Amino acid sequence: MDDHALILKHPLRVRMFHYILVISFLPLALTGLALFFKAFDEPAMNLVMRIHVVAGVVLTLGSLGFFVIAYDRVVLFIRRSFAVTVNDVKWFAVLGGYPQKFLLRKKVAVPPMGKYNSGQKLFGACMLTGGALLIATGWGLWGFPHLLPHGMAHAFGEIHLILGLFLTLFLCVHVFLGIYMFHDFKAMFLHGRIPYAEAREAAPLWVENELVALRKE
Amino acid sequence: MGKKDYQYMENPFQVTRREFLSITGAIAAFTALPAVWVRSRVTKRNNYLRARAAGLYLDDRNAKIRVSHGNPVVTKIYDEFAHAPLSEISEALFHTRYINRSKGIA
Amino acid sequence: MGSSRLEYTLGNHGSENFRGDDIMESATKSFQKGEIPGIIAIDEATCKGCDSCKRHCPTGAITGMFGAVHRIDADRCINCGQCLVSCPFGAPFETVDAVETVLTRLNNKDVAVVGIIAPAVRVAIGEEFGLPAGTLATARMYGAMEKAGFKILDNNLAADLTIMEEGTELLHRIQGELSGGEAPEEGHGPLPQFTSCCPAWVRYVELNHPALIPHLSSAKSPQQMAGALAKTYGAQKIWGVEPGKVFTVGIMPCTAKKFEASRPEFISAYHHLAAGGGTYSGEAFPDVDAVLTTRDLARLLKKMGIDLAKEPGSAGDSVMAEYSGAGTIFGNTGGVMEAALRTVHAVITGTEMEPLEYRDVRGLKGVKSASVNLIDAKTGKALQVNVAVVHGLKENIGAIVDEVLSGRSPYHFIEVMNCPGGCINGGGQPVHPEGSGWMSAIAPLFAWR
Repeated sequence: MDDHALILKHPLRVRMFHYILVISFLPLALTGLALFFKAFDEPAMNLVMRIHVVAGVVLTLGSLGFFVIAYDRVVLFIRRSFAVTVNDVKWFAVLGGYPQKFLLRKKVAVPPMGKYNSGQKLFGACMLTGGALLIATGWGLWGFPHLLPHGMAHAFGEIHLILGLFLTLFLCVHVFLGIYMFHDFKAMFLHGRIPYAEAREAAPLWVENELVALRKE
Repeated sequence: MGKKDYQYMENPFQVTRREFLSITGAIAAFTALPAVWVRSRVTKRNNYLRARAAGLYLDDRNAKIRVSHGNPVVTKIYDEFAHAPLSEISEALFHTRYINRSKGIA
Repeated sequence: MGSSRLEYTLGNHGSENFRGDDIMESATKSFQKGEIPGIIAIDEATCKGCDSCKRHCPTGAITGMFGAVHRIDADRCINCGQCLVSCPFGAPFETVDAVETVLTRLNNKDVAVVGIIAPAVRVAIGEEFGLPAGTLATARMYGAMEKAGFKILDNNLAADLTIMEEGTELLHRIQGELSGGEAPEEGHGPLPQFTSCCPAWVRYVELNHPALIPHLSSAKSPQQMAGALAKTYGAQKIWGVEPGKVFTVGIMPCTAKKFEASRPEFISAYHHLAAGGGTYSGEAFPDVDAVLTTRDLARLLKKMGIDLAKEPGSAGDSVMAEYSGAGTIFGNTGGVMEAALRTVHAVITGTEMEPLEYRDVRGLKGVKSASVNLIDAKTGKALQVNVAVVHGLKENIGAIVDEVLSGRSPYHFIEVMNCPGGCINGGGQPVHPEGSGWMSAIAPLFAWR
């Protein structure tokens, strides 16, 4: 096998959706924090809220669009993110080897992973369910706070706040590691391809079980 | 479409029909069931008011006297004290006047 | 079920003395000297700027851009508390809290504390003690309040008095119009006559449509009639207490009643006692000394360790707890009208209305109207009385007011309640977690400005 062969890891539709997530979720997180801390004066808070709402609309439309245009990728994503095995437990037991790598400069063995490692699966599952709940509660709070039953409106507010804070924190981890793993960064943001050797080391089960070679022309 | 510049890709047929259907079912359930629940709660949102109103109408149905002019204590108050509606005492104690506050928000 | 959001109205806000620090020292803008301004305020730490309150506010008293902390303009606010019971986050709160004041008086053996209990309280107070919404808890409420040391003056009795006073006034106005439509005599106002028991509605008229003032019934609200009655007839004939030792507490579903009680003209009992042969020579005192909302009462009872749900019932401790079914329905939209019609019918036709239920004025529709056809027993002539019932001031009062101001109103008598559903949905009621008072179209808010 040619170690320098390339695998299409993220097709175009997926990369497009990721761009939409970046331009909507980052403003949502930042404006969300500003709203939570009431960071600015009145006209600025109004602008912050408007940005939050517009970004939320973009996130909603982008998600619905991806769902319609790329339903097969949605199914793949759910299948991968929610499949939990004992390897995931073992991976978390060593925290994926990251703290050891960064803090102790030591390389630790991790169990064999699929396309998404255990941490990425957790992130994917949290983003999918958390994001869906943020979208649903967000529309409820922007559209119908005046008429929802009081307990429900209050619960929407609490859920929106707690999930927003949690996903914002988790997002920081994702952004850091996503840039650190520079091959994957280029794959997601540019051309979608990663070298075979990288994939075989980080995601051996994916390489073994889920790839097909393209026929030579 | 032109030469592809990668040599491997994901198997497009790796999801079984059963997996596909069960995930689709799960998505449908997780969106439709909460939506139905929210809609039903929103539809019922005024029921606590109907219940409170019904409580007062029940109080009315169970009352021994159901008309104000039939309340013996009302009669007693007029006989022993206020004389009659709009009497001098009634005007002094039970009636009032109002003020023009519109300049306060002009 | 029935858990309250009392935490939103608790806190360090509000003066201990009901009439203490927050009264207007002098008349200013929209307040008379002695009135309490700013009864409802918004907690800046809690408000998210979602604009929900603005959608409920009948007077546009709430300012603040979408996303920024909101504020209430006290000069425009009518103290109805709909913002308070509607906010998803519990940001609005009451700045007036009389619980400690009342507790002090209850513990003072020299003072006769009289609880003036509104109809809407008895079907909601149970919710603060785990009972289902709408539980008719009158007996247990009396028992709990008597245990706390209150004497009971049921506001439904005052409501019966209100029907007598306001009904008679209405008949005079109608007779005045029937006899040639001359200019109203002294004391007979123009038609249509508006009810005046809702203090939020009254302040709304005074602020926004003073031209309608002659149309307001001159009758006080039942709360204020009750206060005046308690310190004259009640003190002397029922409880045998000196008027100055009677401490009247309105127990109300309504935050605007706190404002109403503070109106400086409501010292009628004092005037009556001081004027009539000078039997009283002390300082002036108000007819209603303090007001507790339903939520406040629940908090007071819990502070005293009294669980209303478990109280054995009481039938009331004096005749001041005896009321008619017409009085008790005052808490519902259409209830004042139905009570009035029962008496107007009897006075004009000489017989009781049959059936007593008048369903055309019941229900949650924003504006209800009906025509009542009566045969005058004295003259044999037919008389048609056109009535209207409005609740939910924000959504429903506009057309009615326009009609009256332009002289095109077809009605003789109009009942107005600020709160959607009537007093049962007042700003002082327990906030039901599964409920919302929104009765208008399910349309999105989508705030932007």
